[in-house]
Amino acid sequence: MAVRSFTLKAPTPMPGWGLSFGIMLTMISVVVLIPMAVLLWRGFVDFGAAAMWDVVNRNRVWNALALSFRAAFVASLFNLAFGVLLAWVLVRYRFPGKRIVDAAVDLPFALPTAVAGIALTAIYAPNGVFGSVITQTFGIRVAYTELGIWIALIFVGLPFVVRTVQPVIEEIDHETEEVSATLGASRLRTLTHVVLPMLAPAALTGFALALARSVGEYGSVIFIAGNLPNVTEIAPLLIVIRLEEFDYDGAVAIAIAMLAISFALLLAINLIQIWSRRRMGAV
Amino acid sequence: MTNAMIIPARRRRLRSATSEPTLVKWLLIGLCLAVLTVLLFAPLIAVFDEALRRGWAFALASLSEPDAQAAIRLTVLVAAITVPLNATFGIAAAWAITKFDWRGKAWVITMIDLPFSVSPVVAGLLFVLMFGANSALGVWLVANGFPVVFAVPGIVLATLFITFPFVARELIPMMLEQGRAEEEAALTLGASGWRVFMTVTLPNIRWALLYGVLLCNARAMGEFGAVAVVSGKIRGQTTTMPLMIEMFYNEYLSVAAFTMAGVLALLAFVTLTLKSALEWRYADQLAATHRH
Amino acid sequence: MNIEIEEISKDFGTTAALLPVSLSIPSGTLVALLGPSGSGKTTLLRILGGLEFPTAGRVLFDGSDATGLSVQERRAGFVFQSYALFRHMTVFDNIAYGLRARPRKSRPTTPEIARRVTKLLELIKLPDIGARYPNQLSGGQRQRVALARALAIQPRMLLLDEPFGALDAKVRKELRHGLRDIHDTTGLTTVFVTHDQEEAMELADLVVVMSIGRIEQVGKPEDIRARPKTDFVREFITA
Repeated sequence: MAVRSFTLKAPTPMPGWGLSFGIMLTMISVVVLIPMAVLLWRGFVDFGAAAMWDVVNRNRVWNALALSFRAAFVASLFNLAFGVLLAWVLVRYRFPGKRIVDAAVDLPFALPTAVAGIALTAIYAPNGVFGSVITQTFGIRVAYTELGIWIALIFVGLPFVVRTVQPVIEEIDHETEEVSATLGASRLRTLTHVVLPMLAPAALTGFALALARSVGEYGSVIFIAGNLPNVTEIAPLLIVIRLEEFDYDGAVAIAIAMLAISFALLLAINLIQIWSRRRMGAV
Repeated sequence: MTNAMIIPARRRRLRSATSEPTLVKWLLIGLCLAVLTVLLFAPLIAVFDEALRRGWAFALASLSEPDAQAAIRLTVLVAAITVPLNATFGIAAAWAITKFDWRGKAWVITMIDLPFSVSPVVAGLLFVLMFGANSALGVWLVANGFPVVFAVPGIVLATLFITFPFVARELIPMMLEQGRAEEEAALTLGASGWRVFMTVTLPNIRWALLYGVLLCNARAMGEFGAVAVVSGKIRGQTTTMPLMIEMFYNEYLSVAAFTMAGVLALLAFVTLTLKSALEWRYADQLAATHRH
Repeated sequence: MNIEIEEISKDFGTTAALLPVSLSIPSGTLVALLGPSGSGKTTLLRILGGLEFPTAGRVLFDGSDATGLSVQERRAGFVFQSYALFRHMTVFDNIAYGLRARPRKSRPTTPEIARRVTKLLELIKLPDIGARYPNQLSGGQRQRVALARALAIQPRMLLLDEPFGALDAKVRKELRHGLRDIHDTTGLTTVFVTHDQEEAMELADLVVVMSIGRIEQVGKPEDIRARPKTDFVREFITA
């Protein structure tokens, strides 16, 4: 065993190692690895950490980063709660049109973001179907405000929690809920103390996926956002603006800042996951 | 014990221990449908409503404009290059990862997943940095008549990055679950490697592969942010359908924008229908998370 | 507490799981519902626990009608074949669950809950496992924790569905005595479901032999063995 651990691959009669590994490694290198390395090289070596900090440490950039992460967080929280509810309704209840609703949950995966962007803008604009009603009743505007960004990001992240939680609900043993009832717990208590904790790890995974997706979202947001600097200008848009000004260093700095914050967040979520999974055993 | 009187059991309506009161049930269903209507269904209807505002003829006419035609052709071309490349990569990666034991698998899987958590705009930026006017490689490529950025190769690369995990992520859990026994059996029967793949593996993974390809294609045709950054948005040349939508929209050509959006929405509709059909029909042959 | 089952029947759609059955269980007995799968024994147990509702008939607890009582109100300590322990809670929290679920008025104080859980852990002879999670326990330990959890609510009766079904032969023998001991200490009317005639004969005071939705014979183990009433019983207990 000691010898084997020094070789890359354990011996096997299975064919196609060279070909499959070769294709895989080439594609990963060309599409992901080298481009990411170039980005980091441009940022940390050519431009320098201090210079990048100067780019990021300006109000407009901070505001854009804060907006992107705040809106993504709010939208993902909404999707966390609504996604668990929707998954429950889809697995446990019967109602007419359920299959269609189930299929439609994936619409945000299949519908191009630009289409979602202009469509949401059309209905939530001050003269749109919902926008006009909301403005008249509550006196607030949706499109061209941060609220509009929330709506777009909720749309984009909607399927993630539903799709991670659904299979877990399907696998819940009815006996677990029944035993809780025999011990005297009300239905509500069973749901909050027994069912929800069982769904938590999967829901958190879905939350992380939705967050990662919505932090970087561009297409569906720019139409509805209004794109006012410091107010409704998201970080990805700022990268595009820097590129249009041929300020490559500025774009690189903001991109690296976004990646760094994203990875810190995902790492934190992963740690929570590992902790909660360890408690529940290897499941 | 010959108690002839059989007393009706339920004097009080009792509910099963694993369900909620009927009223609560319907309230929750209603709440879900309301939210989905406001967030999902209304925008979808809005697309077609806006597109057909001035009638079918007007809408269809906007699609036959040369720029619109060019955008449709380009989108199909990009998908036609990206999707097969991605499927090849997905199969190769899944084969290497599930049929062999080697060190560093976890890192490779992380690399495959990485594009999920990178902003599309950053994805575009990556290829601008590599092949753009300010990189030596980019300048050399342009000088030799092979521009990447602001040209089709850049769009293909950016789309490849965005769709990178789709097929591999579908196949890996599926093939892990299926194990290696069938392939090993075929080998002992004297089949060649290629024959094993074509006659044993491929039939086992075909629906999962189709599923991955379907999602990959939908994303490839619809990608906006990454393509916007690398394409340069040259009308008639490097403008894909989603970019064309933006141009029409910004030029206040609302019907043209929403008609093109309607075409992509129809594509999404077809994708979802096929996807659901696969989930219902071949549930046992897809990765476990898609089995409803 | 004595249990009267009066003409209880249960249909699932068009199939009858239980034909009208009647049975009288004196207070403090240890009863085995013995039968092959599909005999309706689990359905009968679940009706007693309030997890299933009879199509017709009544259940009386100490002479008063309990048919309309909800699961929560029945206070039946129920142990499932899978044990259904809460994976995300420690053994301590599992056992304390029922006490904490009580309405504030009748909920014991935190130290009182701790005291009772500790006592139950001693009763099942596993005093040191309170801080562990279910996945860190052996099958036999899990079964005993499930039993302790059911006992924590001070149940009026104990209902067990194939309590030894998921255990290997050696542990099964040990735990049989464990259940007998706990029954004798608590004095609770106890009903358990089994398809294993040896288990039923060895453990129970009263054995109820069931086949496809019917009660074939009720009696003490030795009586059933000596005088099987029907061919079915004779074949089943010699099998």
